[in-house]
Amino acid sequence: MTDLLHLDQVSRRYGGLNALHPIDLHIPQGRRHGIIGPNGAGKSTLLHLIAGTIRPSSGRILLHGTDITSHTPDRRARRGIGRTWQHPAVFPRLTVADNIALALPSRSCFTAPFGTDPAPAQTESVLARFGLADLAGLRAGALSYGQQRLLELALATAGRPRLLLLDEPSAGLGPDDIRQLADTLGQLPTDVTIICVDHDLDLIWQLCDTVTVLDHGRHLTTGTPAQVRAHNGARAAYLQPTTTPADRSPEADRPESAPGSRTGGVSVAGLTAGYHGHPVVHDLDLDIPAGGIHALLGRNGAGKSTTLAALAGHLPPAAGTAVTIGGKPVPLGRPACAAAAGIGYVPQGRRLFGPLTVAEHLTAATAARQTTHGHPWRTDEVLDLFPTLHDRLATPAGRLSGGEQQMLALARALLAHPRLLLLDEPTEGLAPAIVAQLAGTIHRLAGAGVSVLLAEHRIPFAVQAADQCSVLAHGTIAMTATPAELATAGQRQQLGHLLGIHHTLGSLA
Amino acid sequence: MTDLITAPARRAVVAATAQRRARPIALVGAVVAAAGLPAVVDRYTITLAGAALVLAGLAMSTQLLVGTAGLPAFGQPAYFGAGAYTAALAAQAGITNGPAQLAAAAGAGAVAAVLTAPVVLRTRGTAFLMVTFAVQSLTATAASRWRTVTGGDDGLHTPPITVPAAGALTSPAHVYWYTLAAFLCLCAAVAVLLRSPLGLRLAGCAGQPPRMSALGHPVNTLLGAGYTAAGAVAGASGALLVAVHQYVSPADIGFETAAVTLLAAALGAGTMTGAIAGAVAVVACRDWIGAPTAGHGHALLGLLFLTVAYTRPVTAHARQLFARRSRP
Repeated sequence: MTDLLHLDQVSRRYGGLNALHPIDLHIPQGRRHGIIGPNGAGKSTLLHLIAGTIRPSSGRILLHGTDITSHTPDRRARRGIGRTWQHPAVFPRLTVADNIALALPSRSCFTAPFGTDPAPAQTESVLARFGLADLAGLRAGALSYGQQRLLELALATAGRPRLLLLDEPSAGLGPDDIRQLADTLGQLPTDVTIICVDHDLDLIWQLCDTVTVLDHGRHLTTGTPAQVRAHNGARAAYLQPTTTPADRSPEADRPESAPGSRTGGVSVAGLTAGYHGHPVVHDLDLDIPAGGIHALLGRNGAGKSTTLAALAGHLPPAAGTAVTIGGKPVPLGRPACAAAAGIGYVPQGRRLFGPLTVAEHLTAATAARQTTHGHPWRTDEVLDLFPTLHDRLATPAGRLSGGEQQMLALARALLAHPRLLLLDEPTEGLAPAIVAQLAGTIHRLAGAGVSVLLAEHRIPFAVQAADQCSVLAHGTIAMTATPAELATAGQRQQLGHLLGIHHTLGSLA
Repeated sequence: MTDLITAPARRAVVAATAQRRARPIALVGAVVAAAGLPAVVDRYTITLAGAALVLAGLAMSTQLLVGTAGLPAFGQPAYFGAGAYTAALAAQAGITNGPAQLAAAAGAGAVAAVLTAPVVLRTRGTAFLMVTFAVQSLTATAASRWRTVTGGDDGLHTPPITVPAAGALTSPAHVYWYTLAAFLCLCAAVAVLLRSPLGLRLAGCAGQPPRMSALGHPVNTLLGAGYTAAGAVAGASGALLVAVHQYVSPADIGFETAAVTLLAAALGAGTMTGAIAGAVAVVACRDWIGAPTAGHGHALLGLLFLTVAYTRPVTAHARQLFARRSRP
């Protein structure tokens, strides 16, 4: 039997950078193939090469024995390649039903231009399959992040592709969403081939029967999950965090804070904020001492990102909201004022300046600095925190891998000397080893007197990083507990109930 | 399942439903008012109303590209001119039948669009705006220089159009009614196009071109089809220009027409009815209210755009209040 997909010595260079060294891959039909590796390993590049959005510098790509190297992305799609992006690519201004209608195998609009409703029955069946039927009439832009992810998966599969490329499908999803995702993918017909890039290793082990490990653009190994887990090179490059998260207690590696830095915490009282006058978060109170780390947990749409955006000044909060840092009131509703008052914000999706280089980002952050309150981070200190950025100083942000972009967004926020750092899904797109590092980094920041508020889906990370966890449900805080308290059975059950999960909590303690 | 739908989203649906219910009534009212206009106003105003319909046709053509396909098109007057000169030349050659002129002009606009689409659609964004601007100014220049065909800057005068059962239309009211009927047909054609698979795909191209490609849609071919349709609409509007004024000159397809059309589309905030209302508002401000204010029509036009630009947030807020009130 011929392979469905054959990459024949495919490589890709960007100027002097070898994003992907020549790689040879054979993927038979029906294979569920995972691709893992550290940030910047070339995983997304590989997907782009197969989808046709990037042309290889050398080598050939064969689909069912046909050379498709020179085919455009739409031609490849018509040959049966479907894909998703790292951030959901849906049509925000169109309704969910119209989104699906665009994804259905084309009745040519030139032969039948005047049918009024394209294949409504088919659209309905796709909507029903993905549990989106209730949302059919809404604009896709009004959906929550998790729903957009689901819709994108529906788009990618509605055309019944032979080969499905998934670029970090679990990014930004909560545990219950990831479980639903795994179920949905598992229900696809067995002859659909899947190539999945993800950092959620549980998902990869569960979904994939073959796994390829990439590192710095090189092919390390390909094998069954068991073989890969046993592979020494793969463990060293990716699987094994430099220090095991489990044996690190939050207090242990936190440097002794400078005297006096514990005073002047952050207090949020009666925060009510939302979009277009419709509150998403109601009357929320939070107190974070200087050097405190507070994690917000909650399902998609619970109001985590809204809380952070309102504190960062990106949403006008309703009357009655009061935020103080060190007793001084923070002007609300204006990002520049919030930054001047010492609030640093790392939004979900990073919001980097695509064409500017890493060095220019850092310079811009330093130049715009207005606050003198926080720990005075210097550029070299920040680069020590994120050594990967050292080698990328001259690279435009748009060329960085997803994980590197996340690090740059953090570095940029730090250089503004924040007293309160808001992190929205900081682990999204990061390799496990980097996630463990990130927890350490956050502890170091807190040790320097910075208060940290993070919105997080990964409960183990939140528990490991934070010293207070609050669960948001329907725009209010439903429970607050320390990680130690969360380890008790009663609290764990309540947490599971609020988050809608029941099985993943065993590993929490 | 019910908590899947967020409260703002549900309110958006309620507001959309309320709008959908109000729309047919408003449309019928507008058409009745437009048709009854000759009974209440003088001859000059009727001609102005005809000119407003012509500009509205051109604005629809522009909105098809700007609002639906996401292309900032500045050059639609070129295809408008192709249609207008085709209709005028046909009239001078003895084909005074209005619908025949309309069909020939729409065809000429479409052919001109097909020929230029490969050049124009290589670009997007600001570059697209510049290339379409070049198409518009080159066409206007050609119209003024190619004296043997276009009559140069003197333009072409044409005999009144004829309609099969009624003969030659000489009274302004009759010309206006013909223009209104033809314009409504054009609206119907555009409405069908927007609800067709092609219309949906054009909207998709505006939102997410890489996603469209990844779904197997040939983005450039689709945009080319949209560009051709917009050219046909512009061409048909050109025939209406000749019907209303019995005259066409390079000034009719010049920079000011292009600017005013694009601004009418911008006034419409992405919707087709908005573009039509924008075009009517432009003519009303510039020519109708402008004439008695000693030629300050352009200042009024400027004020109109500023007002719309600043009040859009206000209207959005009002709409929300309305939606909240009508919530069950």
